[in-house]
Amino acid sequence: MSDNSKKWFKLNLNSKHKQPSSSGGCGCVKTSGGCNSHQKEELNEEEFFEAAVDASIGDERKKDGFDQVFDVKMDRRSAFKKLTASLLIGAGAVTTSCSVTTGKDDKEKAQIDWEEQFKGNYKLMTDDEKSGTVDRLVRSFQLRTGKTISMSSKNAEEDVLFGYAFNISKCQGYMDCVSACVEENNQDRNSQMEYIRIHEMDNGKGFNFNEADDNYYHEVPAEGHFYMGTQCFHCDNPPCIEVCPVQATWREDDGLVVVDYDWCVGCRYCMAACPYDGRRFNWSKPEVPEEEVNKNQHYLGNRMRKKGVVEKCTFCVQRSRAGKNPACVEACPTGARVFGNLLDPESTIRWVLENKKVFRLKEDLGTEPKFWYYMD
Amino acid sequence: MIKSFKIRQFVLCLLVIFISFSCKHKEDEYHSITDKIEAKSKNYKGVSVSSEAFFGDIDLIKISEDGQSFLIPERKGKIKSYACIECHTKPLKQMQSKDLKKAHWNIRIKHADANTMNCITCHSSNNMNDLHSLTGAKIDFNKSYKLCSQCHTKQFKDWKGGAHGKQIGGWAPPRASLTCVNCHNPHNPSFSSKWPARFNIQKIKERK
Repeated sequence: MSDNSKKWFKLNLNSKHKQPSSSGGCGCVKTSGGCNSHQKEELNEEEFFEAAVDASIGDERKKDGFDQVFDVKMDRRSAFKKLTASLLIGAGAVTTSCSVTTGKDDKEKAQIDWEEQFKGNYKLMTDDEKSGTVDRLVRSFQLRTGKTISMSSKNAEEDVLFGYAFNISKCQGYMDCVSACVEENNQDRNSQMEYIRIHEMDNGKGFNFNEADDNYYHEVPAEGHFYMGTQCFHCDNPPCIEVCPVQATWREDDGLVVVDYDWCVGCRYCMAACPYDGRRFNWSKPEVPEEEVNKNQHYLGNRMRKKGVVEKCTFCVQRSRAGKNPACVEACPTGARVFGNLLDPESTIRWVLENKKVFRLKEDLGTEPKFWYYMD
Repeated sequence: MIKSFKIRQFVLCLLVIFISFSCKHKEDEYHSITDKIEAKSKNYKGVSVSSEAFFGDIDLIKISEDGQSFLIPERKGKIKSYACIECHTKPLKQMQSKDLKKAHWNIRIKHADANTMNCITCHSSNNMNDLHSLTGAKIDFNKSYKLCSQCHTKQFKDWKGGAHGKQIGGWAPPRASLTCVNCHNPHNPSFSSKWPARFNIQKIKERK
């Protein structure tokens, strides 16, 4: 590598910002002296501020996006500072809980933060631990906003495998499902996140996503078009869960593919792995007006998310595990959406699969989506 | 010679063991999702959850058609001017001849054409409280789907199975589905066009 001051592999594609040739930069291969032996590499506060300003208004610097994020010099000390952020939260919690002057609520808040910070992966929790974290989250929300929510940690039931069918000859493109989904699942209103996409396609051209429009605004159904919806298909062999480096996403026994928002590190590998564009990322802190928050929540479903985590359709786990239909099914005015238990031979979804000509998207990939399309 | 033969034998043994283990992928026991559904539903014992709590205050009646039985909303209680004989005290012919105020003036039939249907295709002029089939058999207002199914046989089959129409409450048993007239106005059954419920401005910005 020509520039051995970098600790990471760097592609200089499109970068107009010329790399300064470093002489004897710190590659951290040195065993003696450490990185701090090079005073040049360290930033004082003023310089750091400069770098931050440059990164945020990078027009003058003409840095590309990659540079803006990664080309901020950092010495080992500040790296350690960032890495120990969680410990600092913990330390803060200890001081508040030991202090005599702070209020009871503050102490409880700190205690909750401490326990939430160091809890395990939801997938590995026992039922007691699951209800413990749910109770903490409910209490934390209550302490912060004064509002009471109900949150469930209901597990998958035996003899249940959820499946979905979509009638493309019935869908009229009204998008009532999209609306209902956003309201049910507390999705970020600022970035207008939507799990469901309704694609307007030309009659006679089949599923042609290149020419389809998923953000139309005219009276529907439009002449010469048909409509079809996509969302997370809850594959039985989901590629997204295989790529997760921290196992924050997995398939539950009832077939739902879920995400633990507290375990997700936001690497977005799953989004790249999904062949159906089923996942969404919180680029900013999700905001939902307080009066619009759906208070019927599930840990794996519509509870409030944070910035930098991936989320997606969960077939409304907070509803479906209670026996209810997902919000999109309930909202559809045309009856184009059928939802049910694939293992129940008497269920309507089974009747559709056995009596209609059904197909799935990209069946050849072997992902086994549990989302079928059919026609009248 | 013997030693090298033994080594060769040992290597061969190792190779066999290695191959027999290396072929074991993390493979599912089922070839496809349909196989899995079929196998797993053989011993289906039912679920603990029920849809009953989600029906709300909708009055439901149980119907049975060709071995499929499920619930549909009760209809008569929802018709504002039922029972019809409260006004239709006499057969229609006699009421038309008198100088009475015009009733049901707002109903325009946009269902098939005039050659195929008019009011008395479904309504009985002598007994306004009930409907009647093409052959004159009495049909209760609560079971008006029997009327629709005379022509719309394909839709009727799909509705019974669950591919047409809308299930209410939840996916869990008992099954309750809306009946024909809950979505389609029998006098004007087609859906009208309307504006979509949502338009995403952020998506436009992102894709510029």
